[in-house]
This record gives sequence, structure tokens and C-alpha cells, in this order.
Amino acid sequence: MANQSKSVFMIGWEYPPHNSGGLGVACEGLTQALAQDNTKINFTLPYESDIDVSHMDIQYCIHKNWKQVQCHCLKNGHNCNHIICEPPFSAYSTEFIFPEEQLPEEENTGYSFDLGKLRKLSNTQLEKQVTEYAEVVGTVGAAKQNDFEVIHAHDWMSFPAGQQLKKQTGKPLITHVHSTEFDRSGLSSGNQYISAIEYNGMKQADQVIAVSRYTKHLLEQKYGIDPSKITVVHNGISDLRHSADPGRHHFAPNRPVVVFMGRLTIQKGANYFLDLARAVLERIPEALFIVAGHGDMYHELIFKTAREGLSASVVFSGFVRDEQKRKLLDRADVFVMPSISEPFGLVALEAAQRHTPVIVSKNAGVSEVMPHAIVADFWDINKMADSIVELVTNKDAAVTQTKGQLKDLAKQTWKLSAQKIHQVYKNALLGKNSR
Amino acid sequence: MANICLYFELHQPFRLADVSVFDIGLRKEYFNRTEELNRKIFQKVAHKSYIPMLTLLLDLVRNNHEFYFSFSVTGVFLEQASQFAPKVIMLLQRLVRTGQVEVLAETYYHSLASLYSAEEFKKQVKQHEQKIQELFEVTPTVFRNTELIYSNAIGQLVENMGYAGCLTEAVDRYLHGEKRTQLFLGKTNNRLPLLLKHAQLSDDIAFRFSEKSWISYPLTADTYLNWLNSYGHDEIINLFMDFETFGEHQWEDSGIFEFFKVFVEKSLQHEKTRFVTPSLAIKKYKNAQYLPAYDVPHPISWADVDRDLTAWVDNELQRDTLEKMYELEEEVLARKNKDLLEDWRRLQTSDHFYYMCTKWAADGDVHAYFSPYESPYEAYRKFAIVLADLQERMI
Repeated sequence: MANQSKSVFMIGWEYPPHNSGGLGVACEGLTQALAQDNTKINFTLPYESDIDVSHMDIQYCIHKNWKQVQCHCLKNGHNCNHIICEPPFSAYSTEFIFPEEQLPEEENTGYSFDLGKLRKLSNTQLEKQVTEYAEVVGTVGAAKQNDFEVIHAHDWMSFPAGQQLKKQTGKPLITHVHSTEFDRSGLSSGNQYISAIEYNGMKQADQVIAVSRYTKHLLEQKYGIDPSKITVVHNGISDLRHSADPGRHHFAPNRPVVVFMGRLTIQKGANYFLDLARAVLERIPEALFIVAGHGDMYHELIFKTAREGLSASVVFSGFVRDEQKRKLLDRADVFVMPSISEPFGLVALEAAQRHTPVIVSKNAGVSEVMPHAIVADFWDINKMADSIVELVTNKDAAVTQTKGQLKDLAKQTWKLSAQKIHQVYKNALLGKNSR
Repeated sequence: MANICLYFELHQPFRLADVSVFDIGLRKEYFNRTEELNRKIFQKVAHKSYIPMLTLLLDLVRNNHEFYFSFSVTGVFLEQASQFAPKVIMLLQRLVRTGQVEVLAETYYHSLASLYSAEEFKKQVKQHEQKIQELFEVTPTVFRNTELIYSNAIGQLVENMGYAGCLTEAVDRYLHGEKRTQLFLGKTNNRLPLLLKHAQLSDDIAFRFSEKSWISYPLTADTYLNWLNSYGHDEIINLFMDFETFGEHQWEDSGIFEFFKVFVEKSLQHEKTRFVTPSLAIKKYKNAQYLPAYDVPHPISWADVDRDLTAWVDNELQRDTLEKMYELEEEVLARKNKDLLEDWRRLQTSDHFYYMCTKWAADGDVHAYFSPYESPYEAYRKFAIVLADLQERMI
């Protein structure tokens, strides 16, 4: 039975191909599934683009104060001519530097980011831009207030805009938490200004969506949010655009390959990956460990690699995307995600999709939806090393795990996520648990 | 009369090709043998430095039978010269044929093998000797190690191989107040004769010649000769430098070629100076009544401010990759695979480790000037991937 029609004003920050990480991908999967499920969506972005979507209306919300630069990027072979074609700042890099991860996918041919826009912003500047976004969203949203029933804001950059619009229209606000400042700072306090925005956004919200039980717990424990208004909605995963091609034929055919992929930041636990490499190499000297990604810990990590005598056994591929990313996940004999704190961890599902056995941190939301993956504490080098040795020496164990993971994935659809979100909308409209 | 002993080093590394993680195990070539980068650099330097300077030297040698000098040339240089600029080889051959020009021995690959493997070191010196015999029909009798790296232990290796003497740097902390302008004897069984570089007078030409902030800028041949003439009878002034000083480090428009020509011609006219080759100097003075000892317990070199090994063996990136390289020796040899062995040896060229140097200030600038990489970290990253591939070939 089709769900009752709903309408939502959704406040976004990024959308493929302009995504710095999981948020854009999640918004894409989620809005597509919601639209399929009979939802009318207005979706805001703090930049202009030629995003070609038919499942929702995109509202480009640009403040007049933002640096108005004619964009020189080439999209579809011609100058895009937008005045601002990417978010004012990248929300997920630790230093608020535009990371190289933002380079778009090759499938969206011909487009390239202006790397000259690397920048650091002070809290004052962050506050200003987030407030200005709220101002524009408030104006645009208020003008469309007959077009939607609920407001849905994604992560802290959009929370002030959501609060503003709620104030202006009186409509219920749902804040959706994909990542918190605690996660990004590796469970230390991080930027207090940002955690304050997160806290206020969730306090003012009628309903809160967390991407995992892990995150819900964190919101209760660290932010003191009432658990009765938090609903867990796991992310889904889209079908592969390029089919899996697992095997050793891609490269390094003569030895086991173990892969880490992610930003080289404290959050992602790459330094534990090096400890793990050392432990495994004592037992399998020919094993090859590949670190894929960029980040502020890069130099520290290569020095640690050399200092511990791991050169040539641990190699750094740099940031990978598209074909290289697929190849690395196809080739990996084991994929490890030793994150200190990971609200979800989409890349672990992507590895599983490519038939690679996965070891994930206990502090990762993705472990909740992939019961067949191996779960370990990020610091438990012995357990992870034992698992790697078992997976590369016992083919049956690897095959069994891989098959189990694929079964787990089959259940993890965006359709399911959309149904749960619909329920959250209903609750918000009924005023359940709201303050 | 004071003796002027000139020595020039000719070397160009085979730079590494861009091998990525995704090439591991797929037999991608490491060195663009025929590729653009090495060719371009070699031909550029040949045009600016090797050919004009060798031509000038040939003129000077032919017109002045009292003019002597020495050079050494690495095997990897000769391979590239044959391929990219054969005229360089031809000029070198003509020079050697005159009998006024001495060729010195060194490692074929410009490697640091003397620090890591005595066996490998000897093999590379032998391989170099064969190449020199083949091209120049002479057998070197005096040795110079990569970057003038020297220690008592290395001196012993050199002596055991039968060389008449060795060149190295004069490092103040080991001179104990002795004048650097005499023949020294190494702390080896048979007291290997040593010629020590006169850093100040060498670097006046090699580094300071076109530096406008230098108090002696612009340096004239007359001024320089005055400095040399302050040295007394039987002193040996060892002017050791990169060949590329002429035309590449000091550009033609600095007047370096003209300076050198006038300096040589005026020195020859002057009764206070004469030119010698290293073997002539050693022969002449090795039986002198008093020769000071040069005791070098820790390796020295001619590089950077510290004259030590820190340009190549300092940070962890350099140390670990070097150790990993030489740990592979036994395994590489056991394979008896010519290509594998050749790749392993070319990877030993000291330049690869020089690029990974993270020292800063003035030395860092010199390193950056020579490096094809954007950073020492990138040099390490690429080298480690190649090393992983080399390992993969032996699994």
C-alpha cells in the first residue's frame, strides 16, 4: 500500500557530484526513495549548479554577501557560469580545508573544482555563513510555505536554517544527524561552537533522525538529547553501476592485500591500521597494506610507517575515486575500517558490495546493518590481526563471510529508510514527543 | 710550486617512472630508459654544460701540454650519454687519449653501497672499471666514492681493491689543525694516500661564483690566482667539483667558461703554480718524510653544510628504504635474473634518497633544485611503491 502523500522542505548542504563525503550521497539516495514513496520535496543548496534531477525541486539559496566569483569549471563541455558552484565551506574536513576528496566523479565528465579555493575559516566566519544561509532559506521557505508540511535539515550547517524556518512558519522541524563534532574529532571535544549548533538544533527539533544506534546513543550521552524523540534510520546503499569484479588479477597477484580507505584524520583510525599491519606482517611477511586517502595525518603516517620498518609493506595510494576506488575494493582480500567513531561508514558497505570481507570498528554504525562483518574495537589489534590471518589463509571463511555480507546488503535499501522517515514525518505532524 | 689538482664529477641518475599502487606486480618499467624526462634533462645539460665545457677543456689540453685534470663518470651517466648525447662520450674519449686527463674509479651506479654492503660495493666498482676500460682503454688507479663519502672502513675497502689512493672531503673536525693542502694517509693497514678537497676554493667556483651578494663578486681569474698563489711550495690545492658547475649551476652568462679559460692559461704562465692529476700528486708525495694521518671513524661526504651523510641517510624515510633495499641483496642475487638485478642496482643510485631529504634552510633549497618530485614525501611514497613491486617480483 502506498504511503499517504507528504511534502517536505529539505535543507541540504551538498549534493552529488559536489559532495565531500557521505552526506551528499545519502541525500541523493534518500530523496530518490522518498520521491518514489510519494513525497514532494523542495531541496535547498548553498550554491548554484546544474543538478539534473526530476524527483524534487532544488532551491539554490545564495546569500548576497558570499564571494561572487564567476565559476570557471567546465560542465558538459562549457563554462558553467554560475557565481558560486560549491558549498561555502567543506563541512567534514577537520580543518575546514576543501579536501581533495571533493574532486567529483569522472562519470560527471569535464568538471573540476577550483583548488585555489582551499581555505580555513574562523568560527566567526563559520557562524556568519551558517546564519546567512539560514536567512536565505528562511526567505525562500516562507514564500513556499503552502508547499510543505515538515522541515527536514541535514547536519549542523543546516540546523540554524531549519530553526529559522520553523520560527517563521510554525511547521515541525526534523534534524537529521549524519555526523557529529564528537565523531570528527575522534571522540574528543572538537570545535565547541559546532557542537553548540548541533545541540541547539536537536533541542529545537520536533524529531531527530540518527543514522545508527551508535549515533543515537552518542546523542543521548554526549548531547543529552531525549532518546524518545530520536529515531534510528540507517542509510541504504544503491545498486552498483559497475558490477563487482573481485579477484587478485587486478594487481599485486602474488600476495594478500589489505585495504584502508578514508580521510587520513584522527577519526578514521589510520594509525591503528599501521599497528595492525605490523602485527600481521609478523605472521604473513609478504602481505601488502594499502592506505587510500588524503588528510591532515598523512605526513605523520608515512613517518610512522618508515620508523617502524614497514616501508614497501605499507604503501600509500593517495586519494582514489571511480575506477581506482572500484579496483582497490575489488582487489582487496580484506577491508578494514578501524574508525574511532563512525556514525555510519558507507565505504564498508561498498567494500562488501565488491565481495570483500570487511572488518569494522565496534564504534561504527555500519556494524549494525552488516551482522556478517567482523566487528572489533578499533584498538584491538590482536583480534583484527587474527581475523585478517584467518581470512587470507582460509578461503572458505572469506567466501562465507562475503556471501553473508551480500545477504546483509540486500536488506539495506533506501526504500526501507524512506519508509522509516515517513513515519518520523507522521510523528512530527502528530506532535508526538515534541516539546 | 703549489700543485693545482682539478677533479670533476659527471653523474646523472635514471629517474624513476611514475609507478602506482595499481601497477604492482604488472611488470611496469621503473626507468624511462628512452622516455622524455631523462632524455630532456640530459640533453639540456649536455647543451648547456657537458659539450661546451668538454670542448673548452679539449682546447686547453691540446694547446697546453702542462695542463692536467681528472674526472670520474658514473656508469649510469655513460649509459645515458651513449643514448641521448653520444658527442659527450666522443669528447671524453678524446680528452683521455691525450694522456693529460686521468679517469678515476667509482661505483657504476653512484650508490651508497660502501655503507651497506662491501660485496655489492666491490661488484659495482668492478663493473665501473670494465665500462671505463671498454670506452677509454684505461684502468683507473685512484678512487673517489659517491659524493666523496669516506670513513676508515671505506678506506680499507678501497685499499684492499688495490687503489693507489682516494679522494675525499677535508672535514675540520678530523684535520686536527693540519693543513688540508698536503697528502694525508688513511687509518688503513697500508696507510692509503688521501687527497682532501679544498672546500673554500672549490666552492668559490662551484657555489659562489655568480652570487651577487658575495663580497668577492664578480670573481676574476686574477683575484682567484692571487688566492692560489698564497699557497707555498709543494702544497696541493684540491679543487673538486661537479662538472655541471660549468654552464649548469653557473650559467654561461655568468662568465664561468671565460673565467676558467683565463684561470688555466694564467696559472700555466705563473711560476708559482702547476697542474697535477691525483695519481701524479700521490706518486710525488707519498714518500715524503712527514705525512699526517686522516682518521675518520664516522663517514663524511662533500655534501651540505655538515659534510656528513645526512643528505641521504638522515630521516626515517631514507633510513628505512635504504635498509629495505640492501636487505634484498641476497634474494635478488639468488634469482639470477638480469633485469631484476639491474633494476635493484639502479634503485641504489643515491639521488633517490637525496630526494627524500627533509632538511630545511639552504641545504633544502639545493635538494629541491635537484629533485623531480614536489616534496620529499612524494619521493618516498613513489620509491616505496617501486620497492613493493620489486618484492612482488620475488614472491
